[in-house]
Amino acid sequence: MTTRPSDSRWLDGLNLVLLVLAGVIVMTPTAWMVLSSFKPSYEVTAYPPTLVFQPTLENYATLNSQTPFLRYTMNSLIVTVGSTLFGLLLGAPAAFVASWTRITWPAVVTLMARMAPGTLFLLPWYVMFRQVDMIGSYTALILTHAVITLPVVIWVLLPYFDNIPRSIYEAAQVDGCSPFRIFRRIALPLVSSGLAVSAILAFVFSWNFFLFALVLSNSQTKTLIAASFNFIGEGSTNWGGLMAAATIIALPPLILAAVVQRWLISGLTLGAVKG
Amino acid sequence: MASITMRNLVKKYGGVTVIPDLNLRIEDEEFIVLVGPSGCGKSTLLRVLAGLEAIDGGELLIGDTRVNDVPAARRDIAMVFQDYALYPHMTVRQNMSFALEMRGMTPAETAPRVEDAARLLDIHPYLDRRPKALSGGQRQRVAMGRAIVRDPKVFLFDEPLSNLDAKLRGQVRAEIKTLSRKLKTTMVFVTHDQVEAMTMADRIVVMKSGQIQQVGTPEEVYDNPVNVFVASFIGAPSMNFLPARIEGDRLALADGGETLPLALMAEAAPAAGEVLLGIRPEHFQIVPEGQGLSAVIDLVEPLGSDTLIHCALAGQRVIARVSPDIRPVAGQRISLTSIAGKAHLFDPDSQTRIGQTEGQAT
Repeated sequence: MTTRPSDSRWLDGLNLVLLVLAGVIVMTPTAWMVLSSFKPSYEVTAYPPTLVFQPTLENYATLNSQTPFLRYTMNSLIVTVGSTLFGLLLGAPAAFVASWTRITWPAVVTLMARMAPGTLFLLPWYVMFRQVDMIGSYTALILTHAVITLPVVIWVLLPYFDNIPRSIYEAAQVDGCSPFRIFRRIALPLVSSGLAVSAILAFVFSWNFFLFALVLSNSQTKTLIAASFNFIGEGSTNWGGLMAAATIIALPPLILAAVVQRWLISGLTLGAVKG
Repeated sequence: MASITMRNLVKKYGGVTVIPDLNLRIEDEEFIVLVGPSGCGKSTLLRVLAGLEAIDGGELLIGDTRVNDVPAARRDIAMVFQDYALYPHMTVRQNMSFALEMRGMTPAETAPRVEDAARLLDIHPYLDRRPKALSGGQRQRVAMGRAIVRDPKVFLFDEPLSNLDAKLRGQVRAEIKTLSRKLKTTMVFVTHDQVEAMTMADRIVVMKSGQIQQVGTPEEVYDNPVNVFVASFIGAPSMNFLPARIEGDRLALADGGETLPLALMAEAAPAAGEVLLGIRPEHFQIVPEGQGLSAVIDLVEPLGSDTLIHCALAGQRVIARVSPDIRPVAGQRISLTSIAGKAHLFDPDSQTRIGQTEGQAT
């Protein structure tokens, strides 16, 4: 039997405490949101907040009866899936070429666009789409959300492509592959786990993207997150409805985040080369 | 099957010239080994042949076709990489048939060729496995199989044995040599291991700093090295070198004043002057005291098949390979001489071998 030094056990204990603390800090707003969505409206803003209450689906029923919730959900799905696919379609080849040529400055430019505050683009973006009469269209929303999804896809996939041994590409060249075939037949299958991770992250970021959806959508194309803003009124705010909407909006990203963990473990390139 | 001709070939990386001006002709069906220390340009040359690196000057012909600007995909060459470079997401069968598929062959056409190559290499049981489920030796065979099925004009091998353990390396070495006889295809093999070069090559190309030092059969390169570099690179342990000067019909060592008769030399010696005496370890022989060069044993390494003796001789460290029956001990004084006709003389300035016949150097 082996014994561990007391220092190590002490550090393990400290780690556990810090993890629990971080978990509590991160999860408190989410827990608050979920709990509030099941509270009667008079209890949502009660002070001190109640932890024990009679749960009700009243807020969800209101949400369904008073708003075209299903349409907003469909709008969100169309924009999010569309922009994610658009990001993958352009981002995957872009990341491959950046890795292949080792020219990464275009990828840096996309990252800068991602890092810059959204309001910077909001006005020119709005003017541009208004001039071509596309305000409120799905196309405008999908293209706008691609500002988010494209850098995510490129920057998630770049290290995956970089990790493929160069000799595998060279073997494919010698075997008679054109660069496009190398991308399609060799590189893409080898970064499949990266594709999944980037697709899920792009989906989540696009799903949660509020500002552009608020400005560029109309009543027919409004996404869930932009529509949730409707619950905030000038005189009063329906906190219960807002919490129910927020809970439903948060569900897909939460589910996908759980799925991502499976894909993060990437072992596909094992056995490709020596070792 | 094709010859390869390189004329005034130049390869640069930015401002660095890796291959300044290389001329070499590899005959059809020949097994050529490019050998040299790390950074000598041998792998670069192989990659140039493969089309993975652009040529900066000169001409490269495969057969009669100039391929300077022909991409790797259209050169009809096959390459076995140092790290095997198998496609990890494909089975062995798919790995082997991939190049054929890229050339537009149907599964019905590729299947028998894959089966034949797999049988030849004894990897038939693993055809439906992925590379990660194979051992290093099996992966190495799959890499060769992938090259064989294509029936290419030229095979290129980039240090394919360096990741195998010593036992497997010897086995695969023999297999590649046997395979080259069966396939009768032009093969270019890169290695830094002079044992691989000696055992496998029809001709060896010894390289240094992007330049060919010597081209010849293993025997020629071993027995008649053109310069000190080749003499020291080929052979393990490497040739011993002792500064000396010619005095009449004898050779006097620079340090110690001991002499050897010039009659022991492989080639005719000049009338006088400073030289570098080169003797391979196995060409030393122990003689009775007074009949050779006096040496003191530092270290004895019994190898079983023979024994290596490390000695101090005329202020230099030398290694002699002797019969295992001789059991010298450290500290013992012995007398060494060279087997007649086996010692070489080199010019200490130009480092070239003295008295070599025309055509031995490139």
